[in-house]
Amino acid sequence: MEKNNTEEATAETHASAPILIARDVDVFYGKKQAIKNVSLDIPENQITALIGPSGCGKSTFLRCFNRMNDSIDSCQVSGNIQFAGQDIYGPKVDVVALRSRIGMVFQKANPFPKSIFDNVAYGPRIHGLSESKDHLEDIVITSLRRAGLYDEVSDRLDEPGTSLSGGQQQRLCIARAIAIDPQIILMDEPCSALDPIATAIIEDLMDSMKEKYTIVIVTHSMQQAARVSQQTAFFHLGELVESGDTESIFTKPAQKQTQNYISGRIG
Amino acid sequence: MPDYLLTTSPQMAKRHARHLRFQWYGRVAIAVSISFMLLMFTAIFVRGAGAFEKTMIAVDIEFAEAVIDPRGTRVEMDLKQGNYKPLILSGLQEVVPSATERKERNRLYKLVSGGAAFDLGERVAAKPDMIGTTQRVWIAASSEVDLYIKGKVDPESDEAVRRLNDQDIAWVTTLQQEGRVKRKFNRVFFTSGDSRAPEMAGILSAALGSFFSLLVCFLIAFPLGILTAVYLEEYAKKNLLTNLIEVNINNLAAVPSIVFGLLGLAVFLNFFNLPRSTPLVGGMVLALMTLPTIIIASRSILRSIPQSTRDAAMGLGASKTQTTFHHVVPLAMPGMLTGTILGMARALGETAPLLMIGMVAFIVDIPKGITDVATSLPVQIFLWADSPEKGFVELTSAAIMVLLVFLILMNLFAVYLRRRLESRR
Amino acid sequence: MFKKILLCSVAAFGLSACGNGGGSASDTSEGTAETTPFTTGRDQIKIVGSSTVYPFATTVAENFGRSTSFKTPIVEATGSGGGLKLFCSGLGDNFPDITNASRRIKASEVKRCAENGITDIVEVKIGYDGIVVANSTKSDRMELTLRELYLALAKDVPDGNGGLKPNDYIYWSDINPTFKSTKIEIMGPPPTSGTRDAFVELAMEGGCQTFDWIKALKETDSDTYKAICHAFREDDSFIEAGENDNLIVRKLNANPNALGIFGFGFLDQNGDSVQGSVIDGTPPTFENISDGTYPVSRSLYFYVKKDLVGTVPGITEYLTEFTSVRASGQDGYLSEKGLIPMNVDEHAQWQSQVLALETLSLN
Ligand SMILES: Nc1ncnc2c1ncn2[C@@H]1O[C@H](COP(=O)(O)OP(=O)(O)OP(=O)(O)O)[C@@H](O)[C@H]1O
Ligand SMILES: [Mg+2]
Repeated sequence: MEKNNTEEATAETHASAPILIARDVDVFYGKKQAIKNVSLDIPENQITALIGPSGCGKSTFLRCFNRMNDSIDSCQVSGNIQFAGQDIYGPKVDVVALRSRIGMVFQKANPFPKSIFDNVAYGPRIHGLSESKDHLEDIVITSLRRAGLYDEVSDRLDEPGTSLSGGQQQRLCIARAIAIDPQIILMDEPCSALDPIATAIIEDLMDSMKEKYTIVIVTHSMQQAARVSQQTAFFHLGELVESGDTESIFTKPAQKQTQNYISGRIG
Repeated sequence: MPDYLLTTSPQMAKRHARHLRFQWYGRVAIAVSISFMLLMFTAIFVRGAGAFEKTMIAVDIEFAEAVIDPRGTRVEMDLKQGNYKPLILSGLQEVVPSATERKERNRLYKLVSGGAAFDLGERVAAKPDMIGTTQRVWIAASSEVDLYIKGKVDPESDEAVRRLNDQDIAWVTTLQQEGRVKRKFNRVFFTSGDSRAPEMAGILSAALGSFFSLLVCFLIAFPLGILTAVYLEEYAKKNLLTNLIEVNINNLAAVPSIVFGLLGLAVFLNFFNLPRSTPLVGGMVLALMTLPTIIIASRSILRSIPQSTRDAAMGLGASKTQTTFHHVVPLAMPGMLTGTILGMARALGETAPLLMIGMVAFIVDIPKGITDVATSLPVQIFLWADSPEKGFVELTSAAIMVLLVFLILMNLFAVYLRRRLESRR
Repeated sequence: MFKKILLCSVAAFGLSACGNGGGSASDTSEGTAETTPFTTGRDQIKIVGSSTVYPFATTVAENFGRSTSFKTPIVEATGSGGGLKLFCSGLGDNFPDITNASRRIKASEVKRCAENGITDIVEVKIGYDGIVVANSTKSDRMELTLRELYLALAKDVPDGNGGLKPNDYIYWSDINPTFKSTKIEIMGPPPTSGTRDAFVELAMEGGCQTFDWIKALKETDSDTYKAICHAFREDDSFIEAGENDNLIVRKLNANPNALGIFGFGFLDQNGDSVQGSVIDGTPPTFENISDGTYPVSRSLYFYVKKDLVGTVPGITEYLTEFTSVRASGQDGYLSEKGLIPMNVDEHAQWQSQVLALETLSLN
């Protein structure tokens, strides 16, 4: 783990050791640069919020962590990202294994057009996580419980996942993501389509999940970032403007831009 | 509340009018196309309905051993090929005793189908204990008598131009008066192959030929087409090569079908030496022809599957192949099947490519597999439409009806499959 | 579900691969064609060729199939030229055994055959076919000379001063003042058809040669001669009606003023609705075509590979059936189908010559 001292962004001391370390990350879509020389540490068992105005590259950056950008032909990622000490863009890295360690929940709930049970069971099945049928059932039920959905759907696990409400679908996607027991969960605006009640349920959920998981969340809601995260990183036009303790970012931001954004003057 | 909100302004009136106008355009368009279709169907039906019935004549036949099996061997082949003509003739003469001269007897015999004697042979071979008895047997009338009975010959017209002369018609009338003429369901049409005699010609051989060809076509074109589409859409990088392939596929879809026939002739027949005139080669040629259609249809279906589905699977650590085959392809399958079946429906109607590989031919035998010689439904229609005998006119229309039924069945099957696959979600 | 379909497909590939396997088996036998000239794997006669002969060949084939233990031969209508091309491509399972032709085989075709190892060909003449110029029975029967027919159809016609002018005859009365003044409208076969070839050769050239100066050209400048005699007019007085003779018959019914050019068989079957024009004083009847007085008639043939006799089962029997009196003789069943049989002596001569398998020598 090589420390880069020429950092412009501040790498402050954290409560816990970083599990994800990004250094000098550049991302290009064809000729267009979406992420410009970003370095950021994600501490373990904490919630890190990525904030910034629309189009600033939050999703792009988030997707670098589980190499989801690989599936976009025009997308080029350079720089160094380490997960638990390993370069995730290294030549020997198996993307499938990486993604089984780093799960993802998307902005728009995207359950498979299959039953609720199969939605959650799919991950464990392809990764061979269950020894028996009973065990698989166990995994599915615990995951649904963790995601706070089980009580609502316990009697209709055969029904298609697409028949649930928007908030339920998003929780189903979270259950699906935790069913493969990842270390990190990346969440891209998980609550953007939800009402305050569903949002509250999911925020509670995240709060309880951070015991076991490291969470990186992209959000447009300052309140949400303030409520759930311990760390916050502010992006603007593809650059990381400022990062650090949520508390200090919201109370005494070092940069004028950050100040303007969180007080609602840009964005 | 200001009242202009609730009353119709001139602009609103215009909008309403446009709305109404478009509705009517649509309705008129539908009405026009439906009436064309009805017109076509009734024309075919009116012309072809007669083919489902045929005229039979009852003849008392003395199954004399001396004529059928003079040596008394009862060998099946001999019984089949026995000389039944005199038996039929004497049976007819019992009803029309006046016909004694050679020429008259010849004309009298022409009232029954040329195939009647062979038909009797088959019956006797199947039941040899008929020999020695006299039985009333219903045998097929000739096509000319059949047309007369169906009212398609005008007995008032000039005798010289009719194929049945006054004498023939008088004989038929005598037979009718004795209750020896009836029309019955034309089973032969559904159970036999082509024939030069309209009353003995059937569609089965062609229908099976079409079936086998389409089977081969499906088994080749469906997997090839879908794998190609999936590869190009899900795996291949966009570069010069894939662009080139794409352009070529689009061009192939527009190539006239006869070109595929020429290709089949050159490659399958001349190079690989596959058997000529068989559904195997026919199906392969049709597969080449439908492949581009299937690929193009499948690709556009695949493109319409939302990226979020792929993201969901890949976010869970599914590999590219797992994502594609667990999620994307099943979602696209109903659409790809529909595309395939539409492509095959087009293939079902093709004759041009089959001409080149020898499937446009006179074939009597019923094909039993993909390597037996066969024709296909449109080819049979084409051949019958081109035959001089009048009896083939109604057969042609009847064959078109069979082709339409085939098409409808295929489309229903497509709908069924789609429903089934969609209900699985 | 998908797995199942995929499985089926895989099975299908196996199947087509089996097909390929079969193919390559005959491939190898093809490869040894040098030593053994042909294979004997086939138990069914394959016939190709002229669509004019097709109705007769199929009728014989069907009767042959029904009355013997051999399989019914396959008959393809490929046209005379196409048939001979296939026929002469080689000996073997995938080449036809017999080809029908509405004209005689050409020396060039015999040569091509010989190059591919087919040296012994048995020629079979089966009878005659008349080409009729007919109209609907709703109108009067026409009486035409070949010259008038030529003038009505040609692209350019003699201008009376030893030169040519574009055909400007619009009404029949323009050609012959005794005709009615109805518009000239003639429907005929396209250039790909054998009927068209024969019509050009017999009727057009026949009419053309009534002009002495054109006839003289035949010897001196045969290209110009052909250009003058073979070209059909391209205005709406001549309509190419496609290969389907039935269609022409139907169109004649719809348009009583039109004339149609097609084979005698169709006239024979549709005598109640169309009538053949009298040409050069001779109506197209059975007898007149048979004895050669009707000017637009031709001989029909088929050709057999002698080497296959005894190899492909049934060839001798098929020849016997075709040349029998009951098939192609005076009152044979082919005459029912519109074939115009040879007279008794000619028929007998061809029959004995064919059954003795005398081979063709063109000279
Ligand atoms: N697939 C792509 N191809 C090309 N450019 C892209 C692609 N995805 C994103 N971009 C561009 O990259 C930049 C960053 O996009 P990104 O989606 O990361 O923004 P974001 O911060 O997530 O915005 P939002 O808050 O609106 O979701 C944008 O300018 C966008 O236009
Ligand atoms: Mg985003």
